[in-house]
Amino acid sequence: MKVSELAEKIGLNSLAEYTDKEIEGVYISDMVSDIITGAMANGILVTLQTHKNLIAAANLVDVAAVIFVRGKKPAADVVELASRAGIGLFVADMDTWSFATKLIDLGIR
Amino acid sequence: MSTCSHAWSMVNIRNGYLVVEGCYKCKARASFFSTEPRPPVDDYQDGEHFWTYLGSFQAVKFDLACDDCGQTVDLDDMMGLMLSTCSDPDCEVARIAKEGGKGTWVYVALCADSTHASGKCVSDAGIAALTEYFNGNIRDANKKVVVVPCTKCKSIDTCRGIVIADTGLTDLY
Repeated sequence: MKVSELAEKIGLNSLAEYTDKEIEGVYISDMVSDIITGAMANGILVTLQTHKNLIAAANLVDVAAVIFVRGKKPAADVVELASRAGIGLFVADMDTWSFATKLIDLGIR
Repeated sequence: MSTCSHAWSMVNIRNGYLVVEGCYKCKARASFFSTEPRPPVDDYQDGEHFWTYLGSFQAVKFDLACDDCGQTVDLDDMMGLMLSTCSDPDCEVARIAKEGGKGTWVYVALCADSTHASGKCVSDAGIAALTEYFNGNIRDANKKVVVVPCTKCKSIDTCRGIVIADTGLTDLY
């Protein structure tokens, strides 16, 4: 499933311009240092962390999209950096677990 | 010289704290990685330096090992990675990013001693392995990562960039 298809099925709008990639996995983490050891290329990252250094880490491992849960919105400079990196940024109002179960229901693991 | 083209994997992943200290006499900065449950905060004298605790951030360290030939590259000398956003025309890191063009992302591998007084920085083998590892995992054909040692920065204390460390994590709760 592509990022755009996931966004459409869950009803999310991207905050950043992004390259529409085929999703290859999911990683959930709120630690940017953990992301470089755990997240995977073309994966989606589910997090509460909106700090700019999260994008620096996500870009290094070629993450396809970041979903901020519990309605957390990143600052404008975070969105700008993600757009330059082609990483989709989405905000979901639900909590991490509820979002994870949505992904499982859609067959994304 | 090895003829292996290397398929790097992360090994020996350690969680801990990146502790940053400053010398109040010469203004040098230094850092080390601590795996203690609480990072040390004591001031102490080491030769000419009088080190004072400046802060600590949750961080992770790792080494790289080749799945094919078994070679391991020790990255103990790397304290962190910083995405360069430097645009100083006199800085070599900024020049490398500019020459690389769109899609090139320069990450600076930070060593422990910002003064480089000892002449040491992250090893050439470490820089090469990090570059190969991260680029090996990238699927996007238009994206390239270049890892450089912090000696390439005109001044690591003033160079602009985004350090991959958990600086804001405690602000969440």
